[in-house]
Amino acid sequence: MGLRAGLRSLAIGLIAGAAFGAAALAFGQGAGAEPVEIRITHSITGGTQKDALDGIIADFEKANPDIKVKQVVFDDDQYSDTGLITQLKSSTPPDIYFQWAGFPMQRDAKEGFAKDISAEMDAGGWKDSFLPSVWSPSMGMLYEGHPYLVPMTLDITNVIWFNKKTFAENGLKEPATWDDFMAAVKILAAKGETPIVIGNQELWPLGNWASHIASRVVEPAHYDAAFKLQEPFNQPGFEKALTLIDDLRKAGAFNKDIAGLGADPAMSTFFQEAAAMHPIGSWLVPSANEMAEKDFDYGVFNTPLIDPANPTKDSVIGTATGFAVHAKSAYPKEAIAFLKFFTQLDNQVKWAEAGSFSPVKGAMDKAKLDDKTKQMADMLSNAGSLVPPPDTTYPVAVAESYYQAAAYVAGGEKSPKDALVWLDDHVKGMK
Amino acid sequence: MRAARNNGLGGGRPGEGAGIANLLFVIPALTLYALFVLWPLAASLYYSLTDWDGIGQPRWVGLANFARAFDDDIHLASYLHVTLYILGTLVFEVSFGLVMAVLLNSDRPGFALLRGLFFSPVVLSMSAAGVLWTFVFDYRTGLVNAMLKGMGLSDWAQPWLSQPATALLCVMLVSGWKFAGFYMILFFAALRRIPRSLYEAATLEGAGPLRQFFSITLPLLKQNILICGLLAVTGGFAGFDLFFTMTNGQPYNTTEVPVTWIVKMGFDSDQLGYGIALTVILTVVVSLISLLYLRFAERSHAVEY
Repeated sequence: MGLRAGLRSLAIGLIAGAAFGAAALAFGQGAGAEPVEIRITHSITGGTQKDALDGIIADFEKANPDIKVKQVVFDDDQYSDTGLITQLKSSTPPDIYFQWAGFPMQRDAKEGFAKDISAEMDAGGWKDSFLPSVWSPSMGMLYEGHPYLVPMTLDITNVIWFNKKTFAENGLKEPATWDDFMAAVKILAAKGETPIVIGNQELWPLGNWASHIASRVVEPAHYDAAFKLQEPFNQPGFEKALTLIDDLRKAGAFNKDIAGLGADPAMSTFFQEAAAMHPIGSWLVPSANEMAEKDFDYGVFNTPLIDPANPTKDSVIGTATGFAVHAKSAYPKEAIAFLKFFTQLDNQVKWAEAGSFSPVKGAMDKAKLDDKTKQMADMLSNAGSLVPPPDTTYPVAVAESYYQAAAYVAGGEKSPKDALVWLDDHVKGMK
Repeated sequence: MRAARNNGLGGGRPGEGAGIANLLFVIPALTLYALFVLWPLAASLYYSLTDWDGIGQPRWVGLANFARAFDDDIHLASYLHVTLYILGTLVFEVSFGLVMAVLLNSDRPGFALLRGLFFSPVVLSMSAAGVLWTFVFDYRTGLVNAMLKGMGLSDWAQPWLSQPATALLCVMLVSGWKFAGFYMILFFAALRRIPRSLYEAATLEGAGPLRQFFSITLPLLKQNILICGLLAVTGGFAGFDLFFTMTNGQPYNTTEVPVTWIVKMGFDSDQLGYGIALTVILTVVVSLISLLYLRFAERSHAVEY
């Protein structure tokens, strides 16, 4: 075969190939386009909440056959440490991502990761379908007055769960004041029980509670100023807060392995009835449904009244979480469609029945809630104020340092005064 | 002759063409080295001089991160903890590995199996080993305390990983369990190269096993011991997995080592600039120690046989 003949054959082949490809493409389009895939990343790895989310996603895909939802799930710590940052900065970011309200969400908005969803929220009264309190500035859902997060759950980050059987056996009831609480701890300790189990290896389990206690005894302005490093922590209010923790330690309140035990093993310890009380967040309810024995009977109370004169004397410590749409999402319309579906009343009823506190109007009233979730809902509704945890409100390093100071006191490693001196010295480089 | 010299590209002075050709050959390797070593190093140095949370724009702060590092009590204490850990690894890993290699240096039936069993923890991942041993040391349900209680020694039951006096020791023991087999294999290979005739001659001269160990085995393994020591020291500074899974730096930061503190600062606390500054300090410290160690190792004379 000569060169010219060869070239001709090649040209014919290429033209035929191109024609065949174009025909195949046209046929493919005619047969129906591939569904759009939106990716949602979060840290709900299991339990009833994951089941509920899976169910809602399946219903959404059924109702919207042209959209597929792919979940990218991380363990909680991995998600907040590196998982989310890596995804946010990647060239193919997720369309929707889970985020905490307050400092993290506001940082994302400032850095251009989260999309301003003002227009979508205003359209069709979507914004009004949520509880009005969700949009108050203290909830941290807004950045410069604009919403960047679709509210998903209100979490109480610390309450005190108790074993009803142990309390009954010792003639105890939910304490109303800190003095009642101390008396209960002393009775339990004298009986050889472990009054309170905390797994404080990661510092936040006690730290959250310690900051709630501090918010109840420190004047709000001083509390805020100290965490913003505008005032020292070594002041009478914080010393009183840590002294309350020291009193608990001296009364034998804590498990011996508080400093090295993980948060999940501590929860298991409580479920296995090896401790009378366990201070942790509202997420204990779905975990109990999954992990505790069916006959395990437990109740809940808020941190008891400490200082009747403090403006936040009857506060609840908690935070809101939500879903943000990435500013560079390739499918923002589809992402919003899914989030609207997720926050529909009927789906939020399912979400609430899975143990979440829904921020959508009417969802908690319509849902068939178990006693615990109902109690939590009432606690939130009746709270005089909501105190956000420091690690979602202030620089994490400062919050973690306060948690470390509380850990020193709870373990008897430092006196309250020494812990505060250490704390001020430790955070001075962060200013 | 001229043709032989002019073997590069084009003409020019003798050797000039060869230089350019050589450069062309090393460009791919140099490019990769620059991309994956030099550039990250330079970027790290830059970010260590900034206040950066890993998300927003870095803000230049000069040497402030380094000044803070030398005033950070937990960071400074982490070097003490890692030094104690390294000393522990030299005992529980290198020394124990050497002893086991000598004891199991036999062709008799069953010894190969014993060596295999002793080596087996090496193949397990560090994280898995850490999690497993956390269960063993658990205060309430752990195997150690259960055994003590079973033996009527309830008072000896301790929260092993929750008290400063025992937590670091527990990590050292697990590290020893994990890596002694690795050093055993290295020493075992070296032992096999020592001529049997030396031991036979020593036996004829009346030297017992201990004398043979100190006069023949140990001197002939000197270089191997130095290399194993270097591996233990540099590996110790990089220690992270076991600390992370077993104690996460607790109780009260007494098991905090440089890498766990770097991860906490960089990722948990969103202070990546500070975390990178701590990494730069760690790199300098490890490089200096390695250089000093190698210099010491070079000066010591290897025994020829």
